[in-house]
Amino acid sequence: MRAMPVFRRSRSSKLVDRLMRGVLWSIAILFVVVLILFVGAILKQGWPVLNLSFLTKMPETLDAGGGIKPQIFNSIYLVVLSLGLSLPVGLGAGVYMAEYAGKGRTLNFLRLCIETLAATPSIVLALFGMIVFVQAMGWSFSIRSGALTLALLNIPVITRVTEVSLLGVPRELKEASYGLGATKLQTILKVALPYAATGILTGLVLTAGRAFGESAILVFTAGTNASAHFPDFRLTVPGETLSVHLWYVTSDGTLPDAREIAAGTAAVMIIVLLSLNLLVRLVDRIIRRRTR
Amino acid sequence: MPDVLETSLTAVPANGVGGSLADGPSAPPAAAESPAFRHSRLRRLTDRWAHLAFLTCSLLVVGLIGGILFFLASRGLAAFWPAAGNTGRALSLSEVFLSADWSPSSDRFGILPFIAGSLGVTGLALLIAAPTGTLTAVFIAKMAPPWMRNLMRQVMDLLVGIPSVVYGIFGLTVVLPLVSHTWLADAPASGFAVSAVILAVMIVPTIVSLSTDAFESLPSSLDEGAQALGSSRWQAIWHVLIPAARPRLLTAAVLGLGRAIGEAMAVQMVIGNNPQWIALMRESTDRAPFLRALFTPAATLTTELVQELPNTAAGSTWNNVLFAMGLLLYLLTMVLILATRRLGRGKEA
Repeated sequence: MRAMPVFRRSRSSKLVDRLMRGVLWSIAILFVVVLILFVGAILKQGWPVLNLSFLTKMPETLDAGGGIKPQIFNSIYLVVLSLGLSLPVGLGAGVYMAEYAGKGRTLNFLRLCIETLAATPSIVLALFGMIVFVQAMGWSFSIRSGALTLALLNIPVITRVTEVSLLGVPRELKEASYGLGATKLQTILKVALPYAATGILTGLVLTAGRAFGESAILVFTAGTNASAHFPDFRLTVPGETLSVHLWYVTSDGTLPDAREIAAGTAAVMIIVLLSLNLLVRLVDRIIRRRTR
Repeated sequence: MPDVLETSLTAVPANGVGGSLADGPSAPPAAAESPAFRHSRLRRLTDRWAHLAFLTCSLLVVGLIGGILFFLASRGLAAFWPAAGNTGRALSLSEVFLSADWSPSSDRFGILPFIAGSLGVTGLALLIAAPTGTLTAVFIAKMAPPWMRNLMRQVMDLLVGIPSVVYGIFGLTVVLPLVSHTWLADAPASGFAVSAVILAVMIVPTIVSLSTDAFESLPSSLDEGAQALGSSRWQAIWHVLIPAARPRLLTAAVLGLGRAIGEAMAVQMVIGNNPQWIALMRESTDRAPFLRALFTPAATLTTELVQELPNTAAGSTWNNVLFAMGLLLYLLTMVLILATRRLGRGKEA
């Protein structure tokens, strides 16, 4: 602990204070403006392209005027599949860390692993998925390779959210449950998890948003092609998502209207993510009102 | 690991009351006879199996960390020590890590340009994001009125939720045209500057959210003490609050750094993807060296992976070197996470 410095109230210190207040306000306002400009620009560019036929047509490979119907489907399908795969593992690991691991080395080590996995760049996860699922398992670029690799991205987030939400459960509640003679599992399933459910649910929606926007992983595991059938639920076909499509048409450049398609796709993604964000906020508000 | 499992399993008393109560007030024994929950032998057995299942989930995460390392190493290290069935030749460590000559077609694989590119663009991004992020955090935690605080939280939530390809397309269609063919850049302006600005916006939410937590967890006595000694708002922030929160502020910056160095798609869309950027930077003399460095098309570890991995055959030297770059990124992540642990420990001491 350092000693408190001696503060002098001089005219210059007042000036500096005023100046720095201004600087902090401007930096904060700058970020608000950046966000508004950002969302505004993306929506403005995409607006002319957005219509029903763009959303419901199959994409073209060489000509202008293609749509993004299968990409929308693949995005949703992959998010649902990857969440379904990562939810049990993430929940389980989160429950273990909050309820079983106790404080000490085990918990520290587990936290370290979760932090590392959370910080691992998605391109590294992509390489792992490519080696294991695409090549070693021989699944090539497919929905199943993509979903499994994408699950790796979700697991640390779900684990963390579960752990934090469970740690927020009041101790008295659990003790009351034990007092009634419940086993540990009964306490977790019937008391702790229901109490923590809203926190976990919010985390899940945010995880879904992240998986929805992920591209690096899917370029190398789910591929840059979409099935010609619709809807194609097969796990063995390539599954290009919206974000991958946006990247691919931009960098590939064979489509004459690549710019417009990219702009439209970006606008669709922004609208979906804004709605998800709004949903989280709404659910949060409703729950808060109810608990009050 | 096995002894952890055994002790914790046997630590569960026969009546099924969980180990977590061991450190708290013990439940009255009569409560176990309460009709609300029955303890058949089956229940006790399920309890143990559930414990095992939860443990398995955690072990899976631990296994993943090791698995990623193993598989990346198995391919990346093959660049230097080729395994059987590899078509590539064995490279020496120095011709990969200490050479700036990347021309795979003539069998030269120096990855120094990508390491330098990653460090350059990440360093620049951090230079923008760390100060502004920290100041925004202190603003949110210690200065802003409640409505502004809420607004800033929402802004940061939205910024962190925007996908990297959308950042990329914004950079490509809005920022690049803005600076291309101006006094800043006489050609398309792809390069470090635009990439770093985009990256900075991407990592600011990480830095802000962690730093805000750091400021909010400081004891209020610090702030009050400073004010009682006659400090102005800014003096309290600058002389007391920021020094007190320093370890956690550094942790936030390191995690932001980690996010920036691993970002692939957004950077790939705006940086220009030129592995020969060092040579190009030296050649062109028509601009001031500073501007030349900022606006020359370049490449980083991640962008090169995105750019070239699909075009290479598995097992070739080229492919192996790309995986070695991935391995390098992964090891870097581990180092950064361990560094944050170190910083955190310094705080407690």
